Amino acid sequence: MRNNSSRFIERSITGALSFLRNSVFADDIALQKGYLQARDPRIRAAGIGVLLLAVLFARSALFLSSAYLLCLLLAAASSIHTMFFLKRTWLFIPAFAFFIAIPALFNFFTPGEPLISLGHGVSITEQGLHGAVIFFTRVLTSVSLAVLLSLTTRHSVLLRVLRIFKIPQVFVMTLGMSYRYIYLFIETVQNTFTAIKSRVGHVSSVRKGQRAVAWNIASLWLRSYQLQNQIFSAMLSRGYTGEALILYEFRAGAKDFFWLGVTIAVFVFGLWTNRYLH
Amino acid sequence: MHIPDGYLGPVTSGVMYAVMLPVWAVASRMVKKTLRARQVPLLAIGAAFSFVIMMFNVPIPAGTTGHAVGAVLVAILLGPWAACIAVTVALVVQALLFGDGGITAVGANCFNMAFIEVFAGYYIYKLLSGSSPIASGRRVIAAGIAGYLALNIAALSTAIMFGIQPLLHKTANGQALYCPYGLHIAIPAMAGEHLLLFGWIEALVTGLVIKYLQKQDPALLAAGKEALR
Repeated sequence: MRNNSSRFIERSITGALSFLRNSVFADDIALQKGYLQARDPRIRAAGIGVLLLAVLFARSALFLSSAYLLCLLLAAASSIHTMFFLKRTWLFIPAFAFFIAIPALFNFFTPGEPLISLGHGVSITEQGLHGAVIFFTRVLTSVSLAVLLSLTTRHSVLLRVLRIFKIPQVFVMTLGMSYRYIYLFIETVQNTFTAIKSRVGHVSSVRKGQRAVAWNIASLWLRSYQLQNQIFSAMLSRGYTGEALILYEFRAGAKDFFWLGVTIAVFVFGLWTNRYLH
Repeated sequence: MHIPDGYLGPVTSGVMYAVMLPVWAVASRMVKKTLRARQVPLLAIGAAFSFVIMMFNVPIPAGTTGHAVGAVLVAILLGPWAACIAVTVALVVQALLFGDGGITAVGANCFNMAFIEVFAGYYIYKLLSGSSPIASGRRVIAAGIAGYLALNIAALSTAIMFGIQPLLHKTANGQALYCPYGLHIAIPAMAGEHLLLFGWIEALVTGLVIKYLQKQDPALLAAGKEALR
């Protein structure tokens, strides 16, 4: 256990850095040519929002599975490598949802018509199986849509899109600035950790490990606070007057509205299937 | 405690957005009123800080790890309204920019972590620390207790949201459509892991960070106290 806990900070930081590197890679995909990349970012975000709503309201496993297939098609049409997309979407949240859904298959959590009897009064019920399939495909399709938006839209553009949707300026400005700080902070934490490691070696116990994490967080706040004045001076030197200015250069065309129309049609179709499909 | 997309039905997701809209409006008005131009970067720093705290895995005896939310810590350092905006931004960054999901659940996640946890934690800390000096040990204990209690209150709220799904959304033959477990399972499961595990991580991180800040630069805690009320 000591050996395992001794490298936990390193694992945290490595994980965080690789997570952030993936998100930088996401900007590379957003710059490639593809179906979603070619759509106006406002209409692209609105369309994916409509599809998310369609998935949220859906009550049919068939509709949800079809919506997931649509996600795979959109990914392929948007220059996203299928294996990369599957890895990015199946890990973590859907995998966790899969394990959460397993107990709900059985009659002691979901009573109903027995489908497969396992003996000793334990069975998988029809209601449990259908409920678990709907739950899992809904989570998977929702995550896939969120990842599609994030992969095909440059993060700086996505932040500008939020402003267009009348999100209060204080949120958009904070979002834009904090996004840049996250990278800086991870780097700061990594440097602090390297400094600790070079002076005292690996953290050897749980208690010392907990203290090292707390020290790291406190040190991060100290450094961040000191940054505040320098950043404000930099903002002033770039012409900041108390209002953040955002440039809009988006142009929507017929193909963009066609995409939005298709997503609305999918939403309406989803509502219709709720009455006829299960 | 982060709720991904697909766990909550449209009613809960919609109601939580509706509840959070006025909270965000008041938070943005309060911060705009009290925020001095020089402190604008502080808000963004608070949001990034909150995001990064969620990435720190803390070792737990038995060889596993867990992470803190850091909402109470940010509330103590920036004040509750600014912390509400900072934690909201951290959650939106996770949901939107990093494709972690939770776009339809942003209202619910923000209600639990940027509203309930922030305000409960801040006022518990204020009540317990009273008028003690900035560098007193009482503040460290108050911060730890506030972190523990606020996280558990937020976890209970999350468990209730999960647990009411089978009551709100079920087909005629009893098939669940969203989170499949009722209140009798969701509450003990969430309460158990947060009372026994994650609450202690939050308490430990919140208390120890306040202790280190007291040692390194107590003026900073005082500045935070005055900053964005």
